[in-house]
Amino acid sequence: MNGQYASLLIALPLISAFFVPLIKELGRKAVMGYLVMITALQTAIAGWVANEVYSTGKPIIVIAGGWKPPVGINLYIGHFAALFVLIIAVISFFMAIFSFRAVNVEPVDKYAMLFLLLMLGATGMIATGDIFNLFVFMEITAISAYALTAYNKTGEAAEASMKYIVLGGIGSSFFLIGVALIYGATGTLNMAHLAQLAGAIDPTVAQVGLALIIFGLAVEAELFPLNAWAPDAYQAAPHPITVMFSAFVVKAGLYAIGRLLYLFQGAEGWSGLLRLLVILATLTVIVAELSALRQKDAKRMIAYSSIGQVGMIAFALALGTQAGVSAGVFHMVNHAIVKALLFLTVGYVGVALGGTAIENFQGLGKRMPLTALTITIGSLATVGIPLFNIFWSKIRILLAGVEAGYSWSVALILGASVVEAVYYFRLVHTMWFVEGGGRIRENFAIGVIAIFLAALIIVIGVYPNDVWTIVQKAGQDLFNVANYIKNVPLMGVGA
Amino acid sequence: MNVPDISIYYFGAIALVLIGLYAALVKKNLLKILIGLSIMETGVNLLLISIGYVSGKSAPILSEGVGPTQAVDPIPQALVLTAIVIGVATTAMALSAVVLIYEKYRTLNVEEIRRLRG
Repeated sequence: MNGQYASLLIALPLISAFFVPLIKELGRKAVMGYLVMITALQTAIAGWVANEVYSTGKPIIVIAGGWKPPVGINLYIGHFAALFVLIIAVISFFMAIFSFRAVNVEPVDKYAMLFLLLMLGATGMIATGDIFNLFVFMEITAISAYALTAYNKTGEAAEASMKYIVLGGIGSSFFLIGVALIYGATGTLNMAHLAQLAGAIDPTVAQVGLALIIFGLAVEAELFPLNAWAPDAYQAAPHPITVMFSAFVVKAGLYAIGRLLYLFQGAEGWSGLLRLLVILATLTVIVAELSALRQKDAKRMIAYSSIGQVGMIAFALALGTQAGVSAGVFHMVNHAIVKALLFLTVGYVGVALGGTAIENFQGLGKRMPLTALTITIGSLATVGIPLFNIFWSKIRILLAGVEAGYSWSVALILGASVVEAVYYFRLVHTMWFVEGGGRIRENFAIGVIAIFLAALIIVIGVYPNDVWTIVQKAGQDLFNVANYIKNVPLMGVGA
Repeated sequence: MNVPDISIYYFGAIALVLIGLYAALVKKNLLKILIGLSIMETGVNLLLISIGYVSGKSAPILSEGVGPTQAVDPIPQALVLTAIVIGVATTAMALSAVVLIYEKYRTLNVEEIRRLRG
């Protein structure tokens, strides 16, 4: 089949979102069923694209309207994008099922629309090959995320959304200033073309422009000090949306940082930016883990833990070595699985017991054994116990960090991991060794999803090598910019 | 002083961005913060337009007497059109959040809107 069909990844959620009002009249069940159907379809397309990319070993370049880049805008679905578009689609599919149970606030038709647009935005951010197009997709993601954060219409939700809007607005303005500077220096917005010209840009312009762009993206990627919105938004958003934030919205931001960072590796003064990013990432890990320790709400605690893990991914991406980038991508995959499981199960407890405060978890081992078991697996995996998936990516990140000469960062991150172990074991202890209320019947579909994710954690933990070869290819896609330039058919430029 | 003509646009745009940033970071009233964000966006748009500006050339609309060589760079203008639309959407979204906040808290002072903590 023709690779141009990959543009359906963007087209399908967009057009489906606008059809939602037509089926609104059929009631809540129909809207939710529609959501499940569309996300299943998206998963099928993403699966086909991933299969195509990994079996041929060549990226799919979608050329919009027949205008070759750099005149037209192209999508670049390489090994990384193919893998993550699939992850986005699968997680969205699971969350569409979870929404049946978890989202009861009207109007669900608006919810379905925003849900699809959030999925679209993240997919677009990862697939695009144009820096301004990246901005547009980032704004689609951000605006639907603002609205979804406020969806529950409580005071807390509005407050969290407002914080997100203010920080997001400042971030997007900075991003645009960065784009303006880079465009002024090179006269192009195409990523491959930019990478070709990166060496010739005035070093000051390149540094300031790239720093502004990274600063703007850091809001979405939840890097310290621009992540103040994240715990609030995670806590206040509907439970399925929290999963989506943690599993892929933040990943899209991280990917954009990584991609743009390596595109400019030809520019002078590039290593200074790397060092700055390493410092920010280390601070993110430490501040997040220390804040998580004193949380009284399990969902908020896991939100802080998620930010800590994200800091670790950013650290790996900023190392500037092939090993670091591959380990970071591995950690992205693992983190998506583990945090999807944790937010899903904790959110389910919140739906079933009317809140996610830690007191609600007392005796959960007897009340909802399956949920408690999967939360335990997720917690042990996050802490980085061997035989669970995160152990492998964490150790690779730390080794790559030592290799790249950042031993002090590695030591600090290890210290933060100890803190992480403390609060996760506290949660596990509360669930299994404190007396609680009577037994509650658990939902079948949610149980199946939770078991599937938990099984995935253990399978990757026991056999990490298969996934490692896949993520290594994805890491190379991100790191090897020469290949990236070669794959995009630039019109009338260079050779 | 020998400042080239175009610089004044750059300085003006950056000044607008800084004024907006100041308002967004320092002001206590939510509406003023949003006004700050809007000013910032305007500054960014002005910066983008001035990057594509060529002194003495006309608007990039293909019409009689205006060929590709007599027009300014059209790409920044297309970018700014998009950015303006996005800015309108963000502002509308933010204002509806402000309405919701005022209904729940009966205040727009950011120091009093603090139920989420920790």
